[in-house]
Amino acid sequence: MPLSLYYYLAITAVNILMSWAIYLPYRVAHLHFITIANMTISGYLSGYLVMNLNMPFFWALLIGFAAGGIIGYIVSLFIGDAPTFAVVIVGFTFIYITRTVVENMPIIGGTMGMFGLPNIGGKPATHRYVILGILWALVVVVGFLIHRFDNSRLGKAASAVFVDKDLATSLGVDIKKLGQTLQVFSCIIAGGAGVLYGFIYKSFHLDFFTFHLVGIFMTTIFVGGYSTLWGTVLAAPILYGLPLLFPAEVQSWRIVIYGVILILVLMLKPEGFITRKFVHSIGIALSRKREKL
Amino acid sequence: MQEFLAQIINGLSLGSIYVLLATGFNLLLLVALIIHFSYPQVVVFSMYIVWLVLNATGNNLFMGIAAGVLSSIALNVFCAPIFQKVMKNRGEVDVNATMVLSMAIGFIITDVLSHSFNRGLPIAFPETLTGSGPLFRIGLISIQAGQVWSLVVGVIAVSAFFILLYKTRAGRAFRAIAEDPAGARLVGIPLLKTGIQSYALSGIMGGVTAVLIAMLLHSASPGLGESIAHKVLAVSIVAGLGNLVGGLVVGLALGILEAVVQGYVSGTWSNAIAFVVMLVVILWKPKGLFGIKV
Repeated sequence: MPLSLYYYLAITAVNILMSWAIYLPYRVAHLHFITIANMTISGYLSGYLVMNLNMPFFWALLIGFAAGGIIGYIVSLFIGDAPTFAVVIVGFTFIYITRTVVENMPIIGGTMGMFGLPNIGGKPATHRYVILGILWALVVVVGFLIHRFDNSRLGKAASAVFVDKDLATSLGVDIKKLGQTLQVFSCIIAGGAGVLYGFIYKSFHLDFFTFHLVGIFMTTIFVGGYSTLWGTVLAAPILYGLPLLFPAEVQSWRIVIYGVILILVLMLKPEGFITRKFVHSIGIALSRKREKL
Repeated sequence: MQEFLAQIINGLSLGSIYVLLATGFNLLLLVALIIHFSYPQVVVFSMYIVWLVLNATGNNLFMGIAAGVLSSIALNVFCAPIFQKVMKNRGEVDVNATMVLSMAIGFIITDVLSHSFNRGLPIAFPETLTGSGPLFRIGLISIQAGQVWSLVVGVIAVSAFFILLYKTRAGRAFRAIAEDPAGARLVGIPLLKTGIQSYALSGIMGGVTAVLIAMLLHSASPGLGESIAHKVLAVSIVAGLGNLVGGLVVGLALGILEAVVQGYVSGTWSNAIAFVVMLVVILWKPKGLFGIKV
């Protein structure tokens, strides 16, 4: 498999997972950027476990998921029902604190980063197939779970919270519990995605986990459509792939391009390209076709 | 003791910058009903314009400062119709959508600065603007021109803003919209015009702040806006969104905290400590210490 195709498929999968990690809490109007700090923490933790303690990769991956979930749970106890802007600033603050801590810890490479992570399965080619296999299996599993959630009573409760918190409360929705559940699940996804993100490059560096990730994931969600999971599936491969078609000079303006696209979409298609109504109409069309058959 | 006093003076001048930024940010939130997260990025953009014009005019201070203030007003007013369009699309006031939009504007500004100005390298302001050395020194305490200016101009600007807000007709219109937009419309206050005025006013404050930050820090980098943006949003949340008096108290407190920590802890950790303190307060009181006003 060509290296460029491997990176394209792998990073696209990470972008889908991470955008979903932000999409889920956004169902109750929480922009939960702590997920990016979770990527960093779980990533570096797994790297340390594999490099220094010779722990098998799969155990390190599981610990990465768990670390994300534990941090997400502790923080959600405080911000499970906080206003959106408070959740945003908690996320940014966590990113800052995490970066400072990593910078000042020589044991995990500090500002130099952590290089030379081992291949999973011995050979570089096997490593690539294993990483891609895990990533896309996760995309399928997480996508299925989110699909089930979206169509469940909880999903409908989340939609009610998004539209009107007071109305949702009067309908009996426990806003805090719902917010906490979504935040924890999103942090678990982010923890695992962080581990895999580093293992794609077989290294961890603070430059991997900067604020530009916020821009990429936010653009993916808002351009694709923030009201269904399918928007992300459509937007992630296009937004990551599109700049790759242009010369290197244009590619370096990627964040500006994303910013402009995001502004235009917010102005012209506020709900993004794939709306819930659109998904619903496709569902009806498909069921009619099935009935005819 | 002397060292502590020196850090308090540093903190007051840094805090006055935070107060100015938080006031401009809160004004937009109260009157235009937007969370302009990237307002500090607009300020940093103006700093770059000041640098550019100073370089182009052989350090003509008047031209540099005027360009900084004008660019801040222009950029703020240019953003106004974009914010209005997004809010109109939503059919109701949706501050979260404006925050996402503002973040996008911030990404663009930061990336443009890191590509187009000084090849992305940090810029240094000339001594014509920053002053050549300390104004005076008493033991360990040395006072720079930037510190004095930021404190004096900060106090004057915020006082002028509060006088405008509480003693003038325009200020009453601002406060009426902040209190009840529908009621303000009913009594004949033009919402759009007053909103645009608030963009322009916060632009003026932004331009002044840009010059003061340049005098205080002597340099700027593309990432500066992001780091200040997070602090200003944190100040506003800790104070209580839209709470002008709260912003004043918390802005000064953050400046002093940061300066004192910097005096005793290694530079890289000092920012993190300020953020940890803010984080603890936000987690403890997500609606702010002084109460939300929007």
